[in-house]
Amino acid sequence: MNPLALGLRRGAIELRQILRSRKDLYTYLSTPLVFLGVSYWRSGTHGSGGGLTQLSLAGGIASTIFMFGLMTVPQFLFGDREDGTLLRLRGVPGAMTAYLVGKTLFVLATMAASIVLLLFGGALLLHAQLPQSPGQWLTLVWVLVLGIAAVVPMGAVVGSVLPPAREALALYMMPMVGLMFISGAFAPLRNLPAGVRDLASVFPLRWIAQGVRSALLPDGAKALEVSDSWQHLGTASMLAGWMLAGFLLAPRLLRRMARRESGSSLSEREQKRLAKTAY
Amino acid sequence: MTVTVPQRAAVDRAEQEPAILVSGLRMRYGRRDVLDGLDLRVHRAELFALLGPNGAGKSTTIEVLEGYRLRSGGEVSVLGQDPARDDPAWRARIGIVLQSNRDHGRWRVAELLDHFARYYEHPREPAELLRRVGLAAQADQSAATLSGGQRRRLDVALGLVGSPELLFLDEPTTGFDPEARRDFHALLRELREERATTIVLTTHDLTEAQELADRIGILESGRLTACGTLEELAAAARADSEVRWRGPDGEPRRLLTADPSQAVWELHQEFGGPIPDLEVRRPTLEDTYLGMVGADLDTTEAS
Repeated sequence: MNPLALGLRRGAIELRQILRSRKDLYTYLSTPLVFLGVSYWRSGTHGSGGGLTQLSLAGGIASTIFMFGLMTVPQFLFGDREDGTLLRLRGVPGAMTAYLVGKTLFVLATMAASIVLLLFGGALLLHAQLPQSPGQWLTLVWVLVLGIAAVVPMGAVVGSVLPPAREALALYMMPMVGLMFISGAFAPLRNLPAGVRDLASVFPLRWIAQGVRSALLPDGAKALEVSDSWQHLGTASMLAGWMLAGFLLAPRLLRRMARRESGSSLSEREQKRLAKTAY
Repeated sequence: MTVTVPQRAAVDRAEQEPAILVSGLRMRYGRRDVLDGLDLRVHRAELFALLGPNGAGKSTTIEVLEGYRLRSGGEVSVLGQDPARDDPAWRARIGIVLQSNRDHGRWRVAELLDHFARYYEHPREPAELLRRVGLAAQADQSAATLSGGQRRRLDVALGLVGSPELLFLDEPTTGFDPEARRDFHALLRELREERATTIVLTTHDLTEAQELADRIGILESGRLTACGTLEELAAAARADSEVRWRGPDGEPRRLLTADPSQAVWELHQEFGGPIPDLEVRRPTLEDTYLGMVGADLDTTEAS
């Protein structure tokens, strides 16, 4: 079988594993459910579909993309490196390609399910509005696609350069969580100091969030944005920049990471891990 | 040199060349030479055991041969190819069982073996293989719930599922109970005899090496200091056989000699007949190994 087909099979098996394990199912459902809860609670009007519900849902969708891409993907790579999965794949012909295909399928599917849950769950339960015109649907699609393409390969880059220590992963996660608070996903960017706003504007979340808002909110809401406009051109070019950087770097760094995996480095880490748990 | 090569229908040219040929292998980490001009030859269909104290370079050697590590110098040919090329067709002919694996913990045992069988052109039947390693009852269990010994057996099954011509085992029986160890040894013998698989294993267990290996290599500070059959090693190490008997005074006697046959003959003359409680013990691998590597190194080995 060719690596592509094997990769799809791998992805399908791993997706099925979520459905098999109640714990996994809760883990994957919790993020969209929390965002739905936040949107319900923040609307104040309790589910009558006000503008704040809409704003929160847009923030939730953008944050989901950001979290999957730049937090979950690095975590997957980190875990698969640590437990020897990547080393196993290295010894099997074609398995590394299959792994990447499988993980991509897995991440895209779980992401899509979360977004669908937020979008339609919001509409059904919180009476939030879906995009109102074909134009807005189109905007939603290109923002989501470009947003995902901007964060997933970059997440793979991060995952392949993180040093193999739990502390490194935790240290990386902290600023990522911080970014969620300063990117305008839940609190208006306008209220933030210009310096913080500029910092957030370097990262994709700010742009994904603004793009999703432009698809879910009426056009008049752009008056609430920093520059009184949706900045579609800026969004598209920033996200495309991240995407290009990710697609350029990811294959090299993934290859380098795989090359560095060896049995002795694995057992060394394993011994360190056991030494730690012994205390 | 006595190497038992199993019966095979055809021994073509490719099978006559050694499975592994290494000359002058060097591996340098920083300013330290972990491997310092290692020479090694492993024949087709033989079981070769690599012994040596910790830090002697066993794992590094294996990893170079597996294509997991790039060497600093020397010539290496594994199944006729340079492992540094890491070519998929070559990979498919090699099976690897690593020391510590916890990978694919969420996968069910049968699901995992079945999946990995698909990467190979001529895989072994996964269900049959699972039975062979004694994991049929655990087929629907997730890999993370296996005990240590069961997990090792799953690793062995994963190493074998592609019907490799050459199998690398890095300390395969660590954590096995005696029964699991016996079953595992039977599996290795079967591989060698029925499938003519070449097997290279590293081990700390001298009894295991003595029992299984056709030839044994002893690695010390980055070089192969001895290599051959058990008899050849014993001869090289001048390890003595032990002769025990009961003297005319009823006291037990003991003699260490390179020529036990001569000693026993002389005893016969002395006694003018049967020798009470006669016992002759050939040097074990342990005697030989300790004679070569030194008792001080063995204490680090045991730790």
